[in-house]
Amino acid sequence: MAEQLNVEIRQTRGKRDCRRLRKVGSIPAVLYGHGQENVCLSVPAEQLKGLVQHGSRLADLTGAVNESAFIREVQWDTWGVDVLHVDFTRISAHEKVEVRVPLELRGEAPGVKQGGVVEQLIHDVELSCPASAIPEKIEVNINHLRLGDSVAVAELDLPNGATVLVSPEVVVVHCTEPVEAPEEEAAEAVSGEPEVIGAKEEEEQKTEKK
Amino acid sequence: MALMPKRVKHRKSQRGRIKGNASRGNRVVFGDFGLQAVQGGWIGAATIEAGRIAAQQYLRTEGRLYIRIFPHKSITSIPLETRMGKGKGEPDYWAAVVKPGTVLYEISGTSEEVARLCLTRLAHKMPVRVRFLRRRAM
Repeated sequence: MAEQLNVEIRQTRGKRDCRRLRKVGSIPAVLYGHGQENVCLSVPAEQLKGLVQHGSRLADLTGAVNESAFIREVQWDTWGVDVLHVDFTRISAHEKVEVRVPLELRGEAPGVKQGGVVEQLIHDVELSCPASAIPEKIEVNINHLRLGDSVAVAELDLPNGATVLVSPEVVVVHCTEPVEAPEEEAAEAVSGEPEVIGAKEEEEQKTEKK
Repeated sequence: MALMPKRVKHRKSQRGRIKGNASRGNRVVFGDFGLQAVQGGWIGAATIEAGRIAAQQYLRTEGRLYIRIFPHKSITSIPLETRMGKGKGEPDYWAAVVKPGTVLYEISGTSEEVARLCLTRLAHKMPVRVRFLRRRAM
């Protein structure tokens, strides 16, 4: 279910005004899509942060704009604490959207007891699914994963109406034998210098001049 | 063997300034947990290697370690008891320029408890203050 966000129309543009907006507890946002004009918005930071932390991808915009929106992109600051900007796209409930959904491993692989290591190769997968049925995450059961086995994208349990946009042969997780760390070559380490690009040509030119 | 570029355009570089926070390389991308620099600074190739060994010895065959930084910058030094002048010194070691927020190492395939202990061991080797980081979905 989509959560509500009270939005206001943002008349100001540029980084200076966006910074001022963030200082007073709002976050700049933009709404686009469906062939209509772009609308610059501002969203209360607390409301948005709660929505994003719950993993919701849909929002009902109220106030200056009354529309359903899909959260297309969230920009974070360096520390991943504050949201800097949000992109919303207009959406209708049965419209299909392309969205990246995180994958979560469930269970314990018997291959680990055989001395193997479970390695997750991809952490999210791109899906095409109806906007009303975007899964929060996809669980990958690894209870049957023995040493040398793998789980491919084709074996994932997808919600109804969802299709994967990556190759079904892509391996999500596998259980392999542990790789020994390469032996230290510190003793052989020579304080060599890397090759300098164009150094040989310069030397040749100098010798020709002489 | 310590990390070093294979080919460079110039043997020596100017010192430069570390301005602002990292706007790239500040998320956990390959693993599940990471070590993020809170301060900026130069991290030498030998230090990166020391960190790798510290983590690898703790992890042994469990999990996988990813190094997210590479020493691209040559640092020169002048020999001791040298008189002033006579130009810039010779390259001494290679260092990675790290801005605050840069993710230095990542770990996958372990529990959070193990990753925390491993990265704490690794953090002791680092010349900058660091913090533990988790992967985030959105």
